[in-house]
Amino acid sequence: MLTRRHFLSGTGAGLFLSGYPVHGFTKNAIKGRIVVVLLEGGMDGLLAVPPIGDDNLFKQRRALVASNPLKLNPLFGIHPNFKNFSSMLLNDEASIIHATSFPYVGRSHFEGQNVLQGGMLAPFSIKTGWLGRAMDIAKTAGKAMSLETPLIIRGANDLDNFYPARIKHSRLPSSETLRLIQSTHLNNAAKVIGKLTKNSMKMGVVSQARDPLSLAAEAGRAMREKDGPRVAVVKIPQFDDHSEIGTDTGHHPELFTLVDRTFGKLKSELKEEWKNTIVLTMTEFGRTVKENGSAGTDHGYGSVGLLAGGLINRSSVVANWPGLSNKDLYEKRDLYATIDYRSICAACLEAAFGLDHDVISERVFLDKTIPRTYGHIFG
Amino acid sequence: MSDNKHKWARKVGFGFGPNELLPTDVESWNNSQLTSNFKSVGVAKRYSDVEIWPQEYNFSFEDRLRRAGEYNEGKKEIENSKKLTSVEKKKRVRTLRDQTDVALFDVYKFWNSAIYGDDMVKQRLTHFWTNHFTVGGGGRRNYIIGDFIYRVIYGNLNASFDELLYKVTTHVGMLDYLDNAESVGERSESARWARRNGKTQGLNDNLARELLELHSVSPERMYTEDDIRNSAKILAGWGAHTDSVIRKFYRERRRGNPAIGSLGKFIYEPYFKDRAEPGRKIVLDNKFRSGKKSLRQLTDMLANDDFTARHLSKKLAIHFIGESVNQSEIDFIYNVWKDSKGNLEEIHKEVLNVTARSKERKFLWPSTWMFQAIRFSGSSFLPGFEDGNASFYKAVPSKLNYEPKKILEELGNSFWESRQPDGYSERKDDWVSTEHFDRRIKVASRIYSFQPDRQGEEIAELLDFSDNTKIAIDKASNMRDKFIVALCSPDFMEV
Repeated sequence: MLTRRHFLSGTGAGLFLSGYPVHGFTKNAIKGRIVVVLLEGGMDGLLAVPPIGDDNLFKQRRALVASNPLKLNPLFGIHPNFKNFSSMLLNDEASIIHATSFPYVGRSHFEGQNVLQGGMLAPFSIKTGWLGRAMDIAKTAGKAMSLETPLIIRGANDLDNFYPARIKHSRLPSSETLRLIQSTHLNNAAKVIGKLTKNSMKMGVVSQARDPLSLAAEAGRAMREKDGPRVAVVKIPQFDDHSEIGTDTGHHPELFTLVDRTFGKLKSELKEEWKNTIVLTMTEFGRTVKENGSAGTDHGYGSVGLLAGGLINRSSVVANWPGLSNKDLYEKRDLYATIDYRSICAACLEAAFGLDHDVISERVFLDKTIPRTYGHIFG
Repeated sequence: MSDNKHKWARKVGFGFGPNELLPTDVESWNNSQLTSNFKSVGVAKRYSDVEIWPQEYNFSFEDRLRRAGEYNEGKKEIENSKKLTSVEKKKRVRTLRDQTDVALFDVYKFWNSAIYGDDMVKQRLTHFWTNHFTVGGGGRRNYIIGDFIYRVIYGNLNASFDELLYKVTTHVGMLDYLDNAESVGERSESARWARRNGKTQGLNDNLARELLELHSVSPERMYTEDDIRNSAKILAGWGAHTDSVIRKFYRERRRGNPAIGSLGKFIYEPYFKDRAEPGRKIVLDNKFRSGKKSLRQLTDMLANDDFTARHLSKKLAIHFIGESVNQSEIDFIYNVWKDSKGNLEEIHKEVLNVTARSKERKFLWPSTWMFQAIRFSGSSFLPGFEDGNASFYKAVPSKLNYEPKKILEELGNSFWESRQPDGYSERKDDWVSTEHFDRRIKVASRIYSFQPDRQGEEIAELLDFSDNTKIAIDKASNMRDKFIVALCSPDFMEV
């Protein structure tokens, strides 16, 4: 049972006071590390972190509440599959943001994923990602744990990725030839080829596993190095299930376990550097409050964000709870998002990179109105 | 663009290999590419001649269900056996899978058609539309993806778009992949029965949403949640899981019921009246009555919507011309779409016309790049459809070599993988990364290992590579590396 209770019941206005001391921009190598865990497909935030103190939860989705959630405070519990994460909450190194989302209400995976990675209000309106732009300002390197370079970190100057190949019997060209290939390309293509070496292309040098957990472990190993990347992006796909999503057990709960182990794995592999790290989850939207006809939920709006890492000093559940009665729902079906998740991302950037909040809002999110939430998470 | 015939064939097809004759007149070649009937071809052994694709590997939809059913039943028997050890069981299931497999033959047909087919433009169009109407792989769906690609997509390339849209929407693969098999009208007989028994059944709007968002009008049409919900109501009753279709088909066949009759109706148009939502529905201000026929009315309405013409003209232009295509080029295609009322043959013809006039460069999908690299260079990289896989997975020799299937997956561009319903990206940025280049270089090196007729320098000459790239090829120290530099240069990755 968790004993610490830092439930914030403040109003929206109360949450978004600004005027905290400003962190200066530092010329020294940045110590902070950010890991973004992309939960693709729309995680059901009400199943992950159920507001068990809200009676309407049981009225709206009787069959989709875990039977034994771990109680966090009078209002919120957490799905029992989040074991590592729960002990991080207990150790004051994790926090939960509830009823939150990027400001996108369209319920399309593709637009939603683009908005949360691009960081703009309109989908497909920018070719770089918010994290990439911040990395460009902070002059820091990053690594995507996927075959492609996801939009979220594009725009950074120093990008690499990791997703081990399984192509056998391929004779590799010399390092000199790699440089020749590079010389035929321009811009970003030339930069990413520059990361290839004959050694890095060899198979069997590193673990060949490509599951999220192994990739998270590899991210942790790379990031704990002194000159290693300060940013990593790990993807956990397959949240897009519309039927039989599970309650105590089942598909969504299995994914919770995977997310939870990802947190655990990052902590164990980052070792000493965990204390300088913030890990945050992001998902394109939450799910409908009511269950649909096939024991699942459909595309919605508000969801939950999970944060962990040594940069957090005090655990809390940050929420401005909108309620779950029919009249409280967005378009009578979805959990309202009362916290703009961009403001949470901005706080993480401030904590890890030491960037000024105004710089982040103006140059990363290109929106001066983003409130500063730093004090609620890292204060 | 069409001045250099080699480049033109890469722009709209897979390029002309070393032993192919160049057409004397590009315009009539274009025409015959779109309108002729072609026979599928393939190679039986890696270095043997091209021959007609064996009829026994052109699986009908029923063949596919039968083989999947045989696998299901056989697997059950093996797993229930009390005599076999678990290792033996595993081995036997694997052998059975190889004996009943269909997907691997489909993958081979896909490769052979791209590398040796006379219908290269139709193949490229098939790849485009298969991607536009993504049906993700996985489980028993892999048995029927080939049916989707060849019968539904390839078979309707010259039909009208409304015909294609209806056939795609009602295909078991699509109905299963986008969860419509789960969707039940809330006021349907089935849902009322379920309620009486303490269960709930209701709508699942996944397919309805993607039908509007991805397959037809796009979000620019500004439809509402009610439009999606009402589309889902029209779709309710359609669909069954691939698995249950296989089971039903197999059961009926075993009972000795050879008549395709009602069973045929079921497998080709899986519709359950008792799950359908009764009553009128309104989508985008149009009224629809209850009943099976309302789906065709819905897909026809969407297919003929102005926003569909806009959305798809643009997507076709971006796919063939390049992502910086200008609006006037898109408009040519759009105008033909409108004038021809969505006649795909006319539309495709205009796509070729506009592409021929354009100077834009297109960054190719990795799969397109690879097929072109093999075809253009004349490499025998593709194993024959009779070459076993013993060399690839030594432990379990089977009928086919797995490498072609694996390579598509490694390139992140397989049509048999589970993936997001918006399909593979048309944007260069989505395909440029350190790991993507790692794959390209490794695949190029593999292709070189199988005796290409055209070497790096010749490729560069024939395709008018930039001087900068020619210098790099020149500097590479051996023939293999020259080949790899040529294939991994922007001059070959784009066209």
